Amino acid sequence: MKSLYAVFLLPLTFIPVLALAQDAPAPAAATAAAPAAEAPSPVPSSENWLTGYVELGYRTQTGIAGSEATYRSIVNLGEGLKLSGTDFTILDPKKRLFERLRIRAYDWGGDPWSSFHIFVEKRGIYKFLGDYRNLTYFNNLASYADPTLPRGVVLDQQSFDTKRRMGSWALELFNGRLLSPYVMYDRDSSSGRNVSVFRTDGNEFAIPELSRDATNLYRAGVHVTLRRFHVTVEQGASVFRSDQNSNVSAGSSTNPGNNLNPVLGQPIYLSSLLRATGVRGNGAFSRLTGTATLSSWLDVYGHYMYANPHNDVNFQQLATGSFVVLSQALFYSTGQSILTATANLPHKGGNFGWDLHPARRFRVTQAWTTDRLDSRATAVTLDRLALAASTPLGNSTLGYTTLGNSTLGNTNSLLNASDNRLETNAFVEGPRHVTFRGGYRYVWGDSQGAILPAAGLPGAQFATLRRQVGLGGITWRPGTRWSAAADAEVGRGSGAWFRTSLYDYRKVRATGSAKLTSTLRLSLDYRTLHNDNPYSGVSYRFDTHQEAASLNWAPKGERLDLQASYEHCGYNSSIAYLQPQILVSAVSNYREACHTMSGLVSASLKSPVKGMPIKLLAGGSAVLTAGSRPTTYYQPTARVNVPLTKKIGLFAEWRYYGLNETFYMYEAFRTHILTTGLRFTR
Amino acid sequence: MLSTKTMARYAGHSLAAFVLLTMAPYLSYGAAQEVAPDKGAAPHMDQTRAASKKRIEGSAPKQFGEDYAGSQACQTCHEDIYNNYRKSAHTFVETDKRGGWSEHGCESCHGPGAAHAGSGDATAIRNPAKLQPAATDSVCLGCHRNTAKHSERIMSGHAKSAVACTTCHSMHARGPAGLVQRAPADVNALCSSCHLSAKAQFAKPSHHKVPENSMTCVDCHNPHGSVRPGMVQTFASNDAACIKCHGDKRGPFTYEHAPMRQEGCGACHESHGSTNPRLLTRQEVRLTCLECHSNIPGTANQKAGVVPPAFHDLRSPRYANCTVCHQKIHGSYTDRNLLR
Repeated sequence: MKSLYAVFLLPLTFIPVLALAQDAPAPAAATAAAPAAEAPSPVPSSENWLTGYVELGYRTQTGIAGSEATYRSIVNLGEGLKLSGTDFTILDPKKRLFERLRIRAYDWGGDPWSSFHIFVEKRGIYKFLGDYRNLTYFNNLASYADPTLPRGVVLDQQSFDTKRRMGSWALELFNGRLLSPYVMYDRDSSSGRNVSVFRTDGNEFAIPELSRDATNLYRAGVHVTLRRFHVTVEQGASVFRSDQNSNVSAGSSTNPGNNLNPVLGQPIYLSSLLRATGVRGNGAFSRLTGTATLSSWLDVYGHYMYANPHNDVNFQQLATGSFVVLSQALFYSTGQSILTATANLPHKGGNFGWDLHPARRFRVTQAWTTDRLDSRATAVTLDRLALAASTPLGNSTLGYTTLGNSTLGNTNSLLNASDNRLETNAFVEGPRHVTFRGGYRYVWGDSQGAILPAAGLPGAQFATLRRQVGLGGITWRPGTRWSAAADAEVGRGSGAWFRTSLYDYRKVRATGSAKLTSTLRLSLDYRTLHNDNPYSGVSYRFDTHQEAASLNWAPKGERLDLQASYEHCGYNSSIAYLQPQILVSAVSNYREACHTMSGLVSASLKSPVKGMPIKLLAGGSAVLTAGSRPTTYYQPTARVNVPLTKKIGLFAEWRYYGLNETFYMYEAFRTHILTTGLRFTR
Repeated sequence: MLSTKTMARYAGHSLAAFVLLTMAPYLSYGAAQEVAPDKGAAPHMDQTRAASKKRIEGSAPKQFGEDYAGSQACQTCHEDIYNNYRKSAHTFVETDKRGGWSEHGCESCHGPGAAHAGSGDATAIRNPAKLQPAATDSVCLGCHRNTAKHSERIMSGHAKSAVACTTCHSMHARGPAGLVQRAPADVNALCSSCHLSAKAQFAKPSHHKVPENSMTCVDCHNPHGSVRPGMVQTFASNDAACIKCHGDKRGPFTYEHAPMRQEGCGACHESHGSTNPRLLTRQEVRLTCLECHSNIPGTANQKAGVVPPAFHDLRSPRYANCTVCHQKIHGSYTDRNLLR
């Protein structure tokens, strides 16, 4: 309870100090306003040079009932002082270094998703954009990974506790002018711990792993923009690195695996493991984009894109324990693997299309798109199995006796695919704001994949893609009061990449929005997809439908506002498969249904501060699903904003998170989160 | 080598393209006729239409005639709108003399305004927000068509469904938001006002952090169009936007998992939200995998994705989650069975 009191009292202690700070006029504001009156400017002198808000608060939690691991995997909000958000804009009337600077930052102070955004612009001179995000990725859900859980063994393979940081920075010069060069830099990196798997014949062991990766992307280009055509040329390069290391020390307690049963009377266990994977890569890419208005009735568009990423791989693994090669009934105590590989992926893509609008009410567009990739990799591997020279097993790592099971291998893998589509659409504008659309799409491609030597698996796989699709649509958009649109696709296939790919299918989407009264708006959204692969042995049939409705009621006077929405969805899938143990064909049926409800009520009440109402918000969402993983998830929330002065307000927020899964009850959790703080507005 | 059937198909498409192009001059003659004044139409409407045509061609009149009133006249009655417009990004239309619309910025979109200024009649001037969506778009595209942002427009679902520019953009807006919402909460609210199903998917337990406003819809989708299906943004020239944050999944891998390359992340993932912790399209891992890996031999045209889980006893909990062992399911650097 003490912490609860602290939550409410802490912000109050800041009020006098912050109020004084707000009341004192900023010297910069005074100096900025005076010259603005002398020189003509889009920013009148009466306008604030600084506008925006800062919201600071303290968050507390009532404790987590149920699985903390699940809570952290799904919500992961912590306690403490938080910068909930800030968003402010600075205008410089004299346009010295910039005209406009906008900074936004949200969820700082240990939150699992923090972001920062900056935008600076001096029109016609430069534009700078920066975006940085810091995400915590925690995932530890036993139901997802741990097959030994029913036996009380917690292994938690595939759990992660990592940080991912992403930055994107772009500078464009002379934006909107004839020549506009730009440079961009993106960085995406991740580091942290996770639980991986060491697999051998007969058993799989959960092992700790340290992993990190980083991708740096550099781009530069130029826009050439004229009234009748535009060209963008871009050249870039990427640099990639990834490292994964596992170190299970020799002499540590026996590492349990999924399978606790002895194989041919001998237990299979892992005593020590050293494993390291290092990947270093780079690649260049180019992009050429162009548009042109050839005449008042014809516009053309085109792209060409090329990328060629390349990776070099080094892998080493040394494991000691008790292992087996089942196919040879061979037991061994030490296994060593070394791999060196290189992989290339030339990837080309492009499109060309035109927009023909010969009459005011008639338009035809045609676009051809192609995407071609050619992945090739070579790997050299050395695998050695040995019986340790000394006992007990696992004491020695290098003093082993070779049993003659040393294998030097060379594998080549490739994956080629070309994916093409040609789409033509005709648009006719009818009377009363109705537009009809009809069209045709042809999709075709070829694919080939192989890993050689075959090693027991199919050595090569081929697939062709052939699909003809009829397109149709109608839209009615008479204005902001009413709108309705419906689109349909009907496809017929004679080849597909995979058995679950689109084959013979029908897809429909219909949306509508109506302002029923001056205060009430209704929106509807319906979509359905039916896909059928009739080939003998596949017999794939997939149906999905989603129906959603949303209601917005905003009575006059803006004192009250209500938003409510509901969505129902259903998924049905059936496909033939062969039961591996008895080699009998059977049909797998999959069913899933969901109901999602969300709502928000906001109300404004009179407050002592003139023109600044007290605002109340209450709402949230509820999800109920049925199927192979029935789940209920509730997220109600309520918030109150109380203005203390014109520029300072107090807020308090309550949230509840509750998850329950019928088949995985041990993953259920519920918790209350309270946040209170101050919001400073200028 | 192309088969005869394929060549015939190419020939068919080429013929269609040829016919369209050869018909174009004749059709454009019809367009020219369209600009001519309609009988019985009010004169100012003819002027508006003719001016509209000029805008589509992207040129301002060499000299503003009597039918133009100038922006100052607009300001007299529409002061708030004018002031907002002067603070917006569009203000340069008013000031940039090279563009040809100097001091006539309002009429660059609304057409000649003298008739409206004289009579106060709302029908005597063009209001792009109330035109047919395509007509609204052509007003905007008169200036914006030949830009990098709109270079994928003809593949945009919004353009196909006649969602006009003004649906998302407020042309006179000012302030931090500019012509379109920028703050994550506002962007997401704007998109979800039409995409109700997507909004509902984000309410599921495992989702990308869009409801938390850590991400926005436009982080992944390009509302102006994209070469990728679903208007998905591209990254590093031609990868899907997913790779922007999940760089470790880009590869190239020594051993690829073909669906990831050929059908993209959406083959297995429901990226908006799922009850599965890894955002899978099915609630359980094995149900996602086994639809392809079902032990059934491939057909004549489709032999990919049929590698069987031959010896796995699927009744055992040990094989409930395929990715426990096949952990490098996006592609492996070191193991052909995607085990490490």
